[in-house]
Amino acid sequence: MSHYRKLLGVLFILLLLPTTLSGCGFKDIDKRIFVVSVGVDPAKNSDKKFLVTLKLAIPNVQEVSNEFLIIAEEGDTIAEAVRIMKAKVDKELDFSHAKLIVYNEKILKPEIEKNLYYWFIRRRDFQEMSWVAIGKPSAQEVLKLKPKSERLPSNSLFLILGKDGSESAYVIAEFLFDFKKRFSEKGLDPLLPIIEVKKNIFEIDKVGLLDKKGLKLQLSPKETMILNFFVNEEPKTALKIENGEQSFVIDIQGVKTNYKLMTDSLKQPYIKVDIKLQGRIEEALFDVSNKNLRQYEKMANTFTKKQVRDVLVKLQKSKVDPLGFGLRYRSRHFEKDDWETWERLYPEIKFKVNADVQIKDTGLVE
Amino acid sequence: MASNQVQSIQDSIKEQFQKSDDVVFKELHTNEKYLEVFYIKTICDEAQMQTYLIKPFYEIISARGFLHYLQSHPKIAQYESKQNTVNEVIQGAAVLFYQENIFLLDTKADKNNSVIDTTVETTILGPQSGFSESLPTNIGLIRNRYPALSLMIESMKVGTISNTSVNLLYDSEKVDLDTVKKVKEFLSSIKIEMFQSGEQLLDFTKKNQRSLFPTLMVTERPDRSAVNLAAGKVIVLVAGSPFAVIMPTVMKDLMASMADIYQTFWIGKFLLLLRYLALVTTITLPGLYVALTSYNPEVFRVQLALSVAGSRHAVPYPSFIEVFLMLIMMELLLEASIRLPKAIGPTATTVGGLILGQAATAAGLVSNIMIIIVSLGAISNFVIPINTFSFAVRISKYFILALSIFFGLVGVIIGLFMLIAYMVSQDSFGKPFLTLKEEN
Amino acid sequence: MVGKNRYFLYLVILNMLTNVIIFVPKYLIQYRFDGLILSMLLATVIGIGLMYLDTIVYARFPGQGLPEILDLGLNKPLKIFVLVGFSFFWFIAGLISLLGYIDILHRIINPELSKVWLLVAFLVVLGFVIQLPTRKVMYLLEIILLLNVPFIGFVFIKALTSDYLNWDSIFEVVTHAATVPKLNPVAIASYVFSGYANIIVFNRLLKEKIKSINFVIIFFVSLLTLFTSVFIPIGMHGSDGVQEYIYPWIMTADSLRLPYSPVERVVFLFLMLYINITLISVSVHWHVAFELMKGVYKSKKSKTNNRLLMAFFFGLSILAVLRFDFMHPELISMYWLIARFFVEIIAIIGFFFFLRRKI
Repeated sequence: MSHYRKLLGVLFILLLLPTTLSGCGFKDIDKRIFVVSVGVDPAKNSDKKFLVTLKLAIPNVQEVSNEFLIIAEEGDTIAEAVRIMKAKVDKELDFSHAKLIVYNEKILKPEIEKNLYYWFIRRRDFQEMSWVAIGKPSAQEVLKLKPKSERLPSNSLFLILGKDGSESAYVIAEFLFDFKKRFSEKGLDPLLPIIEVKKNIFEIDKVGLLDKKGLKLQLSPKETMILNFFVNEEPKTALKIENGEQSFVIDIQGVKTNYKLMTDSLKQPYIKVDIKLQGRIEEALFDVSNKNLRQYEKMANTFTKKQVRDVLVKLQKSKVDPLGFGLRYRSRHFEKDDWETWERLYPEIKFKVNADVQIKDTGLVE
Repeated sequence: MASNQVQSIQDSIKEQFQKSDDVVFKELHTNEKYLEVFYIKTICDEAQMQTYLIKPFYEIISARGFLHYLQSHPKIAQYESKQNTVNEVIQGAAVLFYQENIFLLDTKADKNNSVIDTTVETTILGPQSGFSESLPTNIGLIRNRYPALSLMIESMKVGTISNTSVNLLYDSEKVDLDTVKKVKEFLSSIKIEMFQSGEQLLDFTKKNQRSLFPTLMVTERPDRSAVNLAAGKVIVLVAGSPFAVIMPTVMKDLMASMADIYQTFWIGKFLLLLRYLALVTTITLPGLYVALTSYNPEVFRVQLALSVAGSRHAVPYPSFIEVFLMLIMMELLLEASIRLPKAIGPTATTVGGLILGQAATAAGLVSNIMIIIVSLGAISNFVIPINTFSFAVRISKYFILALSIFFGLVGVIIGLFMLIAYMVSQDSFGKPFLTLKEEN
Repeated sequence: MVGKNRYFLYLVILNMLTNVIIFVPKYLIQYRFDGLILSMLLATVIGIGLMYLDTIVYARFPGQGLPEILDLGLNKPLKIFVLVGFSFFWFIAGLISLLGYIDILHRIINPELSKVWLLVAFLVVLGFVIQLPTRKVMYLLEIILLLNVPFIGFVFIKALTSDYLNWDSIFEVVTHAATVPKLNPVAIASYVFSGYANIIVFNRLLKEKIKSINFVIIFFVSLLTLFTSVFIPIGMHGSDGVQEYIYPWIMTADSLRLPYSPVERVVFLFLMLYINITLISVSVHWHVAFELMKGVYKSKKSKTNNRLLMAFFFGLSILAVLRFDFMHPELISMYWLIARFFVEIIAIIGFFFFLRRKI
């Protein structure tokens, strides 16, 4: 019997123990408030450096629940601002669902402070898979917007960047870990999507290109799309072939891109870029006919070639390398000083673009 | 045997049986011969007595002829000892005193020998009837299904008062003799007054090893018993119980349903997979809920985390109190519906499950998701085919829950590991309880 | 094909899995421009060679562990020295992975839960497992591997097929292959193979000679493990930036996303799986340590001795976890990894010559 009594005693103590749970991580989900996005802007009203904005999700029992709370604080570092903000909410700030980090354009120009991204990586609670983006007109404006179609706070941006919902060729999403990698990897430069607030909707169709220091170049939507052919081989788009009266639009279904560095034993090094597009004609300013497909393809080829080369040259002029030509060069060369050689080569290198546009048909209409 | 000796035996037997209402002492006379019969009429089959004893007594005229009859009838045995005679009489035999001889007539009434439909381990297809409450009938049922010469039947007695006959059945060609030895040792080691049914053995395995999981299986299905005989197991049948006990029993057996062999291959495999899934679900779900809502909400994806947070919005106490509250409610409900008469059972379930659950969420005492978790856990528990095992599983979920309260998600995993390690450490009559592939 | 030798395979595979958490990738990555590839190849050759030698030695004593073999005839002080020495060594092996993993859990999953508290939970399980019979420990190992390896394989494949795995970064490291191998990376990389060493107790279960097909399997699997565990983090986090991370594999797992699952972040799946792997790995090591110590005292059934031993193990672990942060865990485990390499070589040469002369 004494065994049972002992066992009962132990059970009783075990039952009592949970009531003493404190300070060992036990915190109910309703005692936490989730930060869904973080914005970093330059400070406006004080001599501090930054204005950090947090978007907090308010879980609601009702059906529509994209209710949120915005809190902001200025500080010289993100950590400092966050510490002050902790006192502003009644619940524990939980960063584990902060899936979006938005920087103001001005923060990235001319040089981004390293702490501004290392802080997120250093902390255990931020996901490595948070998306990073540039916010216009300011990071705070991006966080404040409440789109009509949204069910959970910030969810519409998560859906766009994660390509779970809309898939667009104008969006080049960037994860935090990749962003950091591109800062440190020689020969591969960071790039960030630009989120613009236009009235009540987000417009994400541009991309900002950085070198190892800060923002150097912003591409137009069209250029962004071309760049995306290379970054993600993203096919869901339409390419407008402009040729005066003979303009038409191709609905792209398949993209294949490839490049090769031709730098060995040549006086004039060049990069051979192949781009292969597949699609069908969707819209045209003139009467199209299935018989003339070859002719349209030729038109498309010349046009695409020029477009692609223009974008690549633009990157070269601004000395940014988001596609990783430099890394490719390093990975194919065994010399110790291959990186120095590439740094000399890149500004002068030529691009030879081969475009191969295949138009399958003219859609359901002849 | 001298006549005074017979007289003294007769007197002492009569003395030992107190004057109960159902004790019968009768003298039969004809001109040529004279017979005394002693028996207990409530456990004696008087119709048999009529055919085997009284009719021949009056039909065979010569005294010598009747003696020959008594000596050669297979149902009638010679006197052995006084103790043996007393034991036989208690169990329904009749003692015959004829001339200078004492005989024992086996007239034990074979009551409750009708076969019962399966109610505990039901299957859709396959045989639908279970064992009866009579030992000879049950052995007959097994012999019918397992007509092999190698089938061995050994008899034992268990229980100091009940003196219950227990029969051990095994296929002598397939069984591991070491196992048979262990089973016999186990049965003879049992110290009990009243032994009524094989389920009592469960209790004894636990007291010896303090085990949580059953290391023997109780079944009501003759087909399962036959299949297990073929698998080299020992079956124990207990007089008066419609359940057979199968030893040794390992994890695999506890998760198998007889439905598996009455289905096509893939359906059987699918059902097995489903059962293991249910096992994991029912064990971990409450623990996971506490761990994920109170320690690691970052594990969920953001959309899910927010809806869980929203659902717990109105609940005024920590998650583990909420879980305990609901689990205890569920256990009460289960216990109540077992105890209730069949006609009221469904009502209790409806009142408890639907109305209480609905009201508890509406009142903000528990969250919606909690209700789903508790019911899913309970349903999954019912998927486990062997009742004794499903009870053990019901208890182990509290172990995981306790760990999750203190250690969060890590606790759940450590708890699962510990459970597996515990199962692996168990032995059932010399066979490992849980292994992937058995060693020979 | 593998038959009953599968137990040997399990022991080797277990170490291949644990390498990811006891800093092996981290140290190897430091040498990525400095002779890493040749070092890994050299380590493979040395590792498989040692493994082969060791199995030859123990094949002479089918069904017997080191304590039983030494009982056959060896003077007592030497026997005690050998057993206690090895036991201590195995204990440290387990302790390092245990403390390393508790540190990971503390950093990533439960930062507010105290390490001692976490350790106690692990110790309770370990205390239960290590005193089981050797056969049962092996059964448990088999089941745990079966339950976890498919998921770990899934994480590896998920990483290998990730869009963010940059092959150019990997090739960049490969272009530095033509550098002289160094001793440290060789020693560290050979850890991947050293699971065979547990044979000194688990030989009790090995009744047959290990077939050569096992070594072929081990060769390919280990090479694959070694290269993926180093190159996937390099591909994910860049050849120039990857060394900044303390736990390259945890970061890599956190860079993987399961878009359709309720658990979106792979890192949690990964950490949960590795709790099991760590537990069983430490169990195996400590079981070896425990059995070796049991070989020292004669009365094998003595419960008091066993309890004292267990208390000693646990006391030391708790002490270690209290002082852990001050001990530079990464450095300690690196020194240990290197020391292990030499002890292994010496031990196997010792076995090879000494155990041949006896009997």
